Amino acid sequence: MKATAAALLTALIGAGPSPAAARELVAVVSQQAGQLSIVDPAVPAVVASVALAAVPAGIAVSADGRTAFITHPDLGALSRVDLATTSVSLHLKVGAEPFGIAIAPDGVSVLVTDWSADALIHLDGATGREIARVAVGRSPAGLVVDARTSRAYVADRESDTVSVIDLARMERISVIPVGRAPFVLALSPDGRRLYVANVRSNDLSVIDIETVREIARPRIGLMPYGVAVTADGRQVIVTNQQSGKLAWLDAVSLRVRAETRIGEYPEGVLTLSDGRVVATNWADDELCITIPEPGAPCRWRVPLPAGPRMMESFTAGNNIP
Amino acid sequence: MLHRPGLARFALPRFALARFALAPVTLALILMGLAPLSAHGPTPQKADETIMISAPPEAVWKILADFGGIAGWHPLVKKATATGNEAGAERVLTLEKGEVKEGLDEADAGAMRLAYRLSQENIEALPVSFYTATIEVKPAAGGSEVAWSARFYRGDTSNFPPDELNDEAAVAAMTDFVKQGLEGLKAKAGGQ
Repeated sequence: MKATAAALLTALIGAGPSPAAARELVAVVSQQAGQLSIVDPAVPAVVASVALAAVPAGIAVSADGRTAFITHPDLGALSRVDLATTSVSLHLKVGAEPFGIAIAPDGVSVLVTDWSADALIHLDGATGREIARVAVGRSPAGLVVDARTSRAYVADRESDTVSVIDLARMERISVIPVGRAPFVLALSPDGRRLYVANVRSNDLSVIDIETVREIARPRIGLMPYGVAVTADGRQVIVTNQQSGKLAWLDAVSLRVRAETRIGEYPEGVLTLSDGRVVATNWADDELCITIPEPGAPCRWRVPLPAGPRMMESFTAGNNIP
Repeated sequence: MLHRPGLARFALPRFALARFALAPVTLALILMGLAPLSAHGPTPQKADETIMISAPPEAVWKILADFGGIAGWHPLVKKATATGNEAGAERVLTLEKGEVKEGLDEADAGAMRLAYRLSQENIEALPVSFYTATIEVKPAAGGSEVAWSARFYRGDTSNFPPDELNDEAAVAAMTDFVKQGLEGLKAKAGGQ
């Protein structure tokens, strides 16, 4: 069964040089089960899975779609997964409590937030070796990277700030006060707006990148834990964990246009290239997929191993041999 | 599930060190009023239980919606006082080994769903550092189905928690709290 799934995935990501062969997949981390699931949203179903070390949390996929990096805060460790063979290719100690993770602007090296060391760490993607680190606020959680400006934005959860990092110099160049307990962030496609989900103040900080300032803080709902922006930049989609809802915010008026109950304790959320929205329902152990319509309910539900939280979409590329 | 044999030989000294180092920090945070904001790490756990009650959903919801009434039906709650039944209300629960404070986030009468969170922890009373929980009543054949779901963090969120404050201890305590609560609710509502 597993061999079949791996072969299927290899077929999907290794399929020929034609652009039409490029497939968008979603890699989801199930924290309780210690599993990585690769979901093909076109089916939709899990097409491959990888057993991971205990309590995996954050995930990032390299720009070429070949490699996933996963943090293990409780182990102080990082796993690297070869997505073509669906096997763990490296597992090593990194930092004290690595949590949030993103790929650096070079497309291959890795940036990790360290929850208990209050730092952003830059790692070599091939060896896991630490290249540099910079101090940020307390308990850094999620981060986003803008390769165009070579900046990282880090949610300093216990400092109620966002740190702006110049990645070329690994220097903290700004600190932006936001709402209470910022957890994750999302950039608008044009890179001009940053949306920050504040878990404890139940709102969303909207940051203007040019002036590096919070320009609005609309109330969203109970415990916003995930945030995504549609490809056209017009809608911001937020998972409200404690009310079990997906909220759709209009990016111009900054008002909630619609909200829908999607399941128990939704966390991660992202948009697919076809506009559909994917969210993990942590307590239901499933992925919810909706059509790209504000307020749409789950149209598809994909069962997953226990405790799905963070995920990332990636294009399993035509550049893979 | 989270047992890591490789760490066993370090358990004693690290445990001792962690406890020694944590106490003054925790105390300082409590004095600053920051403890509920600062006290949890990144790995949540879950307790999720349901029960069938042979009473109409409206009757069960009426009991639940009285936020401060929990001592009247939960066997583990000796006493409770609440500031109200609306979002923003707080209640103090007196458990066998001390008090915890909870905040009401949402009381949705239409959906018959209560959402609340721990606002002041007490790891002596309940070995968790933070939780959010929901209780939902749904119509079911012969009465109601009540689902109680909690999402929480272990009492000591460092990477080397002592046994009484680890994930297993947190899951056991919260599962017991939820199960006994549902049984108590069923008894109060007049279910069989």
